[in-house]
Amino acid sequence: MSYSLLVLFIITFLSYLYDFFSENNYLQNIKRISLFITLIFHVVYFVERTFFLGHLPIVTQYEIFSLIAFSISFTYFLLELLSDIKGTGVFILFFAMVFQIKSSLFIQDVYVVNHVLQNYPLGTHVITAILGFTAISISAAYSFMYLLLYKNIKSNNFSVIFKRLPNLEILEKLTFYAIIIGFALLSIAVILGMTWLPSAFPEFSYFDSKIILTVLVTIIYGIGIYLKSKRIIIGKRFAKFSIYGFVFSILSLMLASVIMSSFHNFSN
Amino acid sequence: MDILGISINHKTAPIGLREALHLSQEEILEFTPILKEHVFSEGYVLSTCNRTDIFGIPKSGKISYKDIQKYLLDFKHVDGLSSEHFLNYFSCGAVKHVLEVASSINSLIVGDSQIHGQVKEAFLLSEDLGFSKTLMHKLFEAAVRVGKRTITETRIGEGAVTISYAGIKILEKIFSTFETKAALVIGAGETGELAAKHLRESGIGKLSISNRTLSKSELLASKVNSDVIPFENVKESLHKFDIIVTATSADGYILEYEDIKKMMKLRKGKMCSILDIALPRDVDPKVTEIDGIFYNDIDSLNIIVNENLKNREKEIPIVDNIIMEEMTSFFKWYNTLNIVPTIKDFRDFFEEIRKDEVEKIKYKVHDYEYEKVDNMTKRIIGRILHYPTWNLKRISETGTNFEEAKIYSDVIRELFNLDHKSENNSDDTFYNNGAK
Repeated sequence: MSYSLLVLFIITFLSYLYDFFSENNYLQNIKRISLFITLIFHVVYFVERTFFLGHLPIVTQYEIFSLIAFSISFTYFLLELLSDIKGTGVFILFFAMVFQIKSSLFIQDVYVVNHVLQNYPLGTHVITAILGFTAISISAAYSFMYLLLYKNIKSNNFSVIFKRLPNLEILEKLTFYAIIIGFALLSIAVILGMTWLPSAFPEFSYFDSKIILTVLVTIIYGIGIYLKSKRIIIGKRFAKFSIYGFVFSILSLMLASVIMSSFHNFSN
Repeated sequence: MDILGISINHKTAPIGLREALHLSQEEILEFTPILKEHVFSEGYVLSTCNRTDIFGIPKSGKISYKDIQKYLLDFKHVDGLSSEHFLNYFSCGAVKHVLEVASSINSLIVGDSQIHGQVKEAFLLSEDLGFSKTLMHKLFEAAVRVGKRTITETRIGEGAVTISYAGIKILEKIFSTFETKAALVIGAGETGELAAKHLRESGIGKLSISNRTLSKSELLASKVNSDVIPFENVKESLHKFDIIVTATSADGYILEYEDIKKMMKLRKGKMCSILDIALPRDVDPKVTEIDGIFYNDIDSLNIIVNENLKNREKEIPIVDNIIMEEMTSFFKWYNTLNIVPTIKDFRDFFEEIRKDEVEKIKYKVHDYEYEKVDNMTKRIIGRILHYPTWNLKRISETGTNFEEAKIYSDVIRELFNLDHKSENNSDDTFYNNGAK
């Protein structure tokens, strides 16, 4: 089922890719239907996995990757439906596909789960954190599009990027909204973690690498929102900030997961 | 088919000659009676800034292209004009040309939708003047259909193909709305005026005009409902504008790199688009290095224009198919014209018999019975004549069975003694009905 899901993600991504570069509109509706089917299948996949393994699929990092893939594509699906801006899907769904590829290739079935993972606050903590990082990823995708279009207009390159992407102001707005949502969700995740983790883990420390780095990421985005709302960083500089922020958050997550030891490991 | 026509257009004559030959509506009103009297039994005159087309059905076989040219040049004396500047059309070629013009593939800017309205107006004027009869009316319908289908079934009208419209397209990729934006147009000449009008039509929030001659600024400002900024103050005001269009005839740069750098400092990095549509350029192109500045000159805008023109040209084969379909339909109709009088006489013959017989019982039966018999006999005649009528039309429609159609027509006329009833004789009817 995991591989079927991966195939669906690839088909959806390719249909968005084809539609982006193609002059005709053959796949304009088909790509959206394909995304919808993928999302439905993803939900079925989660439900099946929950019943089969006896726990929510948020235990291993590869399960979380799949959740991120779902969260990115679902958020984009809503954005496309609400805003009717169709030219950005290929950039955002690329991220979703990458997460799902990693998940589908390496996912394992874990039956024995740490008892703390059956706790309700942890579920909320994990889901808000994931949604927060998803929003940040989407903001980075919009910023990337902004910079691409910016460069295209500057260099008088009026190719497919120029034709298909929405205008710079819209992309800047979408980046900003995604960052606000990401910041709010990450803040909730941090607050929940700070209040719940000390009682759940005897070895809890406020100096845990994941906590420090996530708090740092949240603070950075908070500062970004402040500077943008005061119009201190706008346009290209804000797009760059969003991309640097995303790179920093990914690196810090990797650093905390791979290099530094942490109590934030629930897979066994 | 004996439709005949001449055309002088951007492919055959320079703008000076085209302008000199251009016929205003008043002139067409004056010229049409001359054509009616000496050249055409019906026709139409289309005159735009890029073409003058005169087409119609000649009054006699002796009329040629030269006669049309002669009457035109007698009416409108233009020096330097010769027969080489005219394209001449006859029969299918003439119909094809009329439809090509209506489709806009023959326009100076391929896909220019303005021509659809101009063709329509020309035909309507011809109808108003009693210069358009059955054939021209049918051609008009075909031309209008071609125009409509070209718009709805192809992408020939898509994309910006003028410099100022290309500029607007770039602005649309930078700003999400124009309502909250301020624009400054420097230069109140023809190009500046066009740009100001385009901006106003795009819904720009605030529009200002600046020109070296203040009176010119004020004149344009009143036309496009905008403010005026004195030219000597323009540099101090630059930072207030999101869009700057320069279209002056100045020899050097009127806005230097340092001016724009200073402006962006005051704007605190807020994006600004500069459209330099002047030749020579008004703004130092080095400004493109400044963050947040989008600078486009004529060359860069031409990239968009040329690409869109190429895309429009790619649609021409689809338009050709539409023209071919409409031509086929037109000629199918035209070819049946020869057989129409026979069909009409044939049906009239039966109808007269029917009426005559039904009339005989009119006062012998009740009204409702009479009505029933009347309807029933109409249905019987309709069914009897359905296949002969259909077959006669089918034979004529192709236009290739001319002799066969004539034999059928003659046989029917002979068998039913139609010519005895009709005033026309058989041959005359067959050959001469087309242009009636």
